[in-house]
Amino acid sequence: MCNRVLLFFLLMTLGAAAQDSTPSVQITGGVTRPLTLTSGDLARMPRATLKASDHGVETVYEGVWVHEVLKRAGVPQGDQLRGKALAAYVLVHAQDGYQVVYSLAELDPSFTGNQVLLADTANGKPLFGERGRFQLVAPGDKAHARSVRMLTGLEVVQLRK
Amino acid sequence: MRGRCALAMLLAATVCTGAEWDWQLPPGFPRPLIPAGNGLSVAKVELGRHLFYDKRMSVNGGQSCASCHKQELAFTDGRARAEGTTGQLHPRSSMSLVNVAYAVTLTWAHPGMTQLEKQALAPMLGTEPVELGLAGHEEQFLQTLRGDAAYRELFPKAFPDQTEPFTLENVTKALAAFERTIVSLRSPYDRYRWGGQQSALSPSARRGELIFFSGERGGCFHCHGGWNFSGAVAGEKVVHSGRGGDGFTNTGVSRYTAPNRGVFEHTGKNADLGRFRAPTLRNIALTAPYMHDGSMATLEEVVDHYARGGRYASPNKDSLIQPLALSPEDRLDLIEFLRSLTDVEMTRDARWSDPWEVRNRPPQ
Repeated sequence: MCNRVLLFFLLMTLGAAAQDSTPSVQITGGVTRPLTLTSGDLARMPRATLKASDHGVETVYEGVWVHEVLKRAGVPQGDQLRGKALAAYVLVHAQDGYQVVYSLAELDPSFTGNQVLLADTANGKPLFGERGRFQLVAPGDKAHARSVRMLTGLEVVQLRK
Repeated sequence: MRGRCALAMLLAATVCTGAEWDWQLPPGFPRPLIPAGNGLSVAKVELGRHLFYDKRMSVNGGQSCASCHKQELAFTDGRARAEGTTGQLHPRSSMSLVNVAYAVTLTWAHPGMTQLEKQALAPMLGTEPVELGLAGHEEQFLQTLRGDAAYRELFPKAFPDQTEPFTLENVTKALAAFERTIVSLRSPYDRYRWGGQQSALSPSARRGELIFFSGERGGCFHCHGGWNFSGAVAGEKVVHSGRGGDGFTNTGVSRYTAPNRGVFEHTGKNADLGRFRAPTLRNIALTAPYMHDGSMATLEEVVDHYARGGRYASPNKDSLIQPLALSPEDRLDLIEFLRSLTDVEMTRDARWSDPWEVRNRPPQ
């Protein structure tokens, strides 16, 4: 009996550890539905691909447009993106503490043609290494600084209360 | 036997027709840019290889290009400062020729030196310092080439449209063609990053990779970026300007006194004092000692230099050169990562080895 209890707690602990170590992207802040998205979750969302140059190496990224992710979290889009919402921004977090900002309007396809991809594969393989499990790809930016590697979170911040 | 003969005939035909060079690049990688005035052919590369390893390229028969650019050292010489054929020391360290075809600029600190054909004249004819020492001996040098049976075969094949192919211009063209072919993309890191072979990199090197590419922790990639781990690169469909807009940065390595004041030596602008090129870090474990003046003997010294935010204060020091919070383990991981950029196959690839080893060595 004692051994069974021990085994139960051991399995529970291992299960929790495994769950904790599953890479994910947190969608937090001024959203109506905070989300924790794993690669499995992203696989069930509308997928998109884009071809980009990684310092000259042709790379096909696949993932989900950031606006689709924000829509699922209840962030205003399209006609709803008015008034105070236009003074909201997305603070992007990386695993090493790196942060960048996009305004909500920059990420909305009804405002701009420059869409940003939340990528989880490159050339058909899951991202790994210095890119992390998730990466933003911003083909409309001339510099790569906002194509955040090692992505861990998107935090919506409302400037006008 | 018949197959061997057929292969030999095919090879001969390939050389005769000036066939294009097979780059053997990994999928998706850009091809190097080839200047319009110096198309790349197998025959021209072969001529360039013979010249590169020929000590008759120097006035006293003491040195060839390969004396300062040794294949086993990723085409550097292992010295802090290069030494010419008459014993004069160069103010700076010999640079690696690996992936030089992708380099936008070629030397430590000359933004205007962008053509390999032109650059080859500096070691051949330069007098400050004397490197190969051929200035004033050009015609005698060409006469030596004309008198060699191997060159009487190689020059006409490399320049089939010319009645008199033995010219200094053609020597530089052939050398440049050979140097452009030295492409190094077969390191353990390449197998890991682009080949999908996870086991090619040790856990320590993988931790080092994260430090290298993290702007919050190491930030090395800012100057040594992209797949070439360097400043400015160019290839088909790619131009990457590098840190500072041209890939030259002041990293607080020295006090930058003449003649090692960096880009300043060529522009005279104070803002260019101490700006040197960020070379490729590919094969960096083979190219010690480090920096433009060879003043750092080991990778450990280099990492410590950057971790303390630069060795010397300088008004032009890049704002990114700041003290880094790197533990001793972090530093070891970073060095392990840098070692994973060594392409051992490049150091023994027969395409870039000494051809005179298999021919009769020419008289010295």
